Amino acid sequence: MAVDTSASSAVSTITLPDIGTQLRKQPRFGEMIIEGLLFLSGAISILVTIGIVVVLFEEALKFFARPEVTLLDFFLTGTWQPAIGQFGIWSLVNATLVVSLIAMLVALPIGLMVAIFLSEYASARFRGILKPILEVLAGIPTVVFGYFALTFVTPILRGLVGDNTVQIYNTASAGIVVGILIVPLVASMAEDALHAVPRALREGAYGLGATKLETAVRIVLPAAASGVAAAFIVAISRAVGETMVVAIAAGAGPRPAPFINPFNSAETMTGHMVRISGGDLSYDSVDYESIFAIGLMLFFMTLALNIISYYVVKRFREVYE
Amino acid sequence: MSIKPIESYVEQDFDRGFYPEGDDLQKFVDRRNRNGRIWYLIFIASTIVAIMALTALLYTIVRDSFGYIVIQNTVDPETLVRDVEQARMLAAPNTVSSEDDTELVEGIEDNPYAIGYFGYAYYANNQDILKAVPVNGAAPSAETARSGAYPYTRPLYIYSAPEVMQAKSNVSDFINFYLANAETVMAEVGYFPANQEAFQQARETWLEVNNLNTSMALPAVDPAEVPDQGVITISGSSTVYPVTRQIALKFRQAGYPGGLKVEQVGTTAGFEQFCAKDGIDIVDASNPAGRTQFDACAKAHRELREFTVGTDALAIAVSQKNDFLKNVTVDQLREIFTSYERWSEVDPAYPDEPIQRFIPGTDSGTLSFFADTTFSRGLAELPAEDLIAILELHLTPGRLNALNAENPLAEQTQEELLRLVQQEVVKPRVVMSYNLVESIFGREAVYAHAETVPNGFVEFYSWLNLNFLTSPQSSVPEYAGVNTAIWGSLWVIFITIIVALPIGVGAAIYLEEYATMVTNPTLRRFNAIIQTNINNLAGVPSIIYGLLGLAVFVRALEIITSGTAFGAADPTTANGRTVLSAGLTMALLILPLIIINAQEAIRAVPQSLRQAGMGLGATRWQTIWSHVLPNAIPGILTGNILAVSRAVGETAPLVVIGASTFITVNPTSPFSKFTTLPIQIYQWTARPQAEFQHIAAAAIIVLLVLLLSLNAAAVLLRNKYSKRLA
Repeated sequence: MAVDTSASSAVSTITLPDIGTQLRKQPRFGEMIIEGLLFLSGAISILVTIGIVVVLFEEALKFFARPEVTLLDFFLTGTWQPAIGQFGIWSLVNATLVVSLIAMLVALPIGLMVAIFLSEYASARFRGILKPILEVLAGIPTVVFGYFALTFVTPILRGLVGDNTVQIYNTASAGIVVGILIVPLVASMAEDALHAVPRALREGAYGLGATKLETAVRIVLPAAASGVAAAFIVAISRAVGETMVVAIAAGAGPRPAPFINPFNSAETMTGHMVRISGGDLSYDSVDYESIFAIGLMLFFMTLALNIISYYVVKRFREVYE
Repeated sequence: MSIKPIESYVEQDFDRGFYPEGDDLQKFVDRRNRNGRIWYLIFIASTIVAIMALTALLYTIVRDSFGYIVIQNTVDPETLVRDVEQARMLAAPNTVSSEDDTELVEGIEDNPYAIGYFGYAYYANNQDILKAVPVNGAAPSAETARSGAYPYTRPLYIYSAPEVMQAKSNVSDFINFYLANAETVMAEVGYFPANQEAFQQARETWLEVNNLNTSMALPAVDPAEVPDQGVITISGSSTVYPVTRQIALKFRQAGYPGGLKVEQVGTTAGFEQFCAKDGIDIVDASNPAGRTQFDACAKAHRELREFTVGTDALAIAVSQKNDFLKNVTVDQLREIFTSYERWSEVDPAYPDEPIQRFIPGTDSGTLSFFADTTFSRGLAELPAEDLIAILELHLTPGRLNALNAENPLAEQTQEELLRLVQQEVVKPRVVMSYNLVESIFGREAVYAHAETVPNGFVEFYSWLNLNFLTSPQSSVPEYAGVNTAIWGSLWVIFITIIVALPIGVGAAIYLEEYATMVTNPTLRRFNAIIQTNINNLAGVPSIIYGLLGLAVFVRALEIITSGTAFGAADPTTANGRTVLSAGLTMALLILPLIIINAQEAIRAVPQSLRQAGMGLGATRWQTIWSHVLPNAIPGILTGNILAVSRAVGETAPLVVIGASTFITVNPTSPFSKFTTLPIQIYQWTARPQAEFQHIAAAAIIVLLVLLLSLNAAAVLLRNKYSKRLA
């Protein structure tokens, strides 16, 4: 190893009285190069962020520079029909919101309750079994959940609600499955937060005569509120950015906003991006540029959510010692 | 130090005053306990729901990966075998083929080494000069025909329909008369009576059509009393014709006043006439009606009814002078009429004389009757030369040349040829498929459904099989496989790892070991930004990375990622949608995960180890290299494997950067086009046909097994790691 040999040769040449000064002054080029390389590795992540922002802005600006696209229509209208020059992002955002809302209705209560159960009720042994199961669930690729939505959840929904009401591709099925897919995330983040609440608080509550439920819901949960809230926000961000489930199960073809019926098909932002880029997309076409504009919108939505979650944790965290 | 919040929460309970007393206290406590129990159940239920979601997911995949399929052959393999052997029979040496039966009889009559076959009726007329050879030990007779011991027999039928019989009662009466007289007339003409059960069935059918109790005997019919409701028209098989004509004559002789018209046009044409508009009244048939005939007649609002009236037989005839042939088997007959040249080949005890063959002409039903019974081997039993003959008969010369160029047919083994015949000629296609649940609980329905498929048969099929793993993509679902996708996934992952691992671990080392020691305030700030930024990047949706990869790797760096810069690809056709672009995109995607995981692993290394290293005079890098990294490596690897398994399952970014949707060539270099397992799953799931859903499910199993092995590796490493620390 280069570093070792240079160091040992340096040691052999110096005389004893000067050893302190010699060592201090010795420039270690090997060390500096390594430190520089490691710094660069760290800095690459900054480059990635800059890359994302630059690329998204560059192509999105080209998109907005087109005569058929106006910023006002983009943000204020609800029809997305590239074929006839209609680019109203609300059509796609609306679908994303419907899917995310359904997903949250599924994921937040279940995720929170699983977290409470795991943290407050389950024995150590049961938790040891359940947490890996949740991890497995979290590790299953989303395309598999898409398959699940289309071939399991949709037929059940159609059977329950009626074939005429529920279309084959519908946002309800996609939303439910996105919810299921997020449950492990919510459960594990919220469980971490609940688990971090010191034991003394629980003991105190028991000492005052609180039941287990009262302790969990009125003492532990409020104490972990910031962590749980952060989990919720990250979950929303995840649902908004989720792609394959909606691409498979929610349907192809943007629906003019506003709409709320979850049993109809609708194309979300991510679903649209995947479908448009699925074929060989030619560069500099409207479609090519439009997916970057949608991507930019999506990027800011998730970034905002992530920043809020970061802020929530920082601002409202209870620190116990 | 917040004890205060607890007080404020607990205070609410006491807002209303002190604890209640007496019974109220008990109720108060009970209520709280009840609430506790209810919510406990709700919490458990939620957990069970979460587990059930996983179970349902696995259930769906297993359900769709196995089940019955109905396969339909483009060409019926039995017909193939029959046709090729019949061709060999006609082409065999020393064979006389004639439409004129007299010629055959004359040929055999005086030649002890001659053999031939006729309809039994014809043989019966020449019994004095010919000899019928018993087949499989049974001589042709009414008894052996009835019991089925003699193989060369076939039932004879007439067909009509309730609609016809009810509209014209004279038709119904004629059929009654036919059934009553069939046995005697059959014997007169030289046929055998019908199988007892089948004949009884015919009588019951008649009674049923006439709305009579099926257990009673047929009512006697007097032709003189039968009303004339128009001419009774009968047509069809020439084999049945003499019987029908004979019965029609008797019917009229017995006093039937109306007209009767009997014609012979062949069984198939007879059915066509029957099912046409204003069709004939009765069909003579020497073959049973098939699904197509039933369907065609149902369209004409005639529901075919079958009446078995007699049995036809073939006689294998030799000269009276032949004294050695006492018995033959069907297998021997097959060889006698196709490949053997001398009698001694049949049995060494027979004379070493050439076989003289006398067979009816190709237009006669007798020849196909003989061929149907004799040449009923399965495709797999055919020798190689027959398989080649089948290929030559059914393939275009161009296709044959192509196959010969690939691997000369003559040099292939029987098994290889069999596979070729299956693929090129028989061409089995899955026409219907069922999932596991339908297969288990609806077995009858599946088989009933399969009945409606001509040439169809049912098979229990695992969509996940060896062929599926080793075949490339195909537009036919049952031939499609995931081989290309597996290799594509492996290539992408390989590139992802070699890019992301060094950078990720390097960044983690920097952030954990160097950034904390920095004194320069600007750099300190910058390092803090890096840390925040990494956490933020981990939350960016994966599809955004796809956009980044599309714009940067696929488009801007096309010259590098397509390989043209290194002369590895043809600049006119190459583009940036390659394994390399995909791997780089995935590397950026999992970089934050790797950094965060590696940071944790490095942080877990006890500080004392570093201090020990430093204390011995090691430099910072030496300490990291020799003390920190060896202890952190298992943790780093665990985190890495988890990050990689995320990349294995990612779909959206690869769709965006443009993975090939249909590709059959395995990737060979970083500059190859590719597809990956999740992309295949997405493509197949998006197809509406059920068969593609099945292979999507099978591909999901492959993907999950791959991920499971990765995760198992991570768990093993983690266990090993925790043991070391203990």
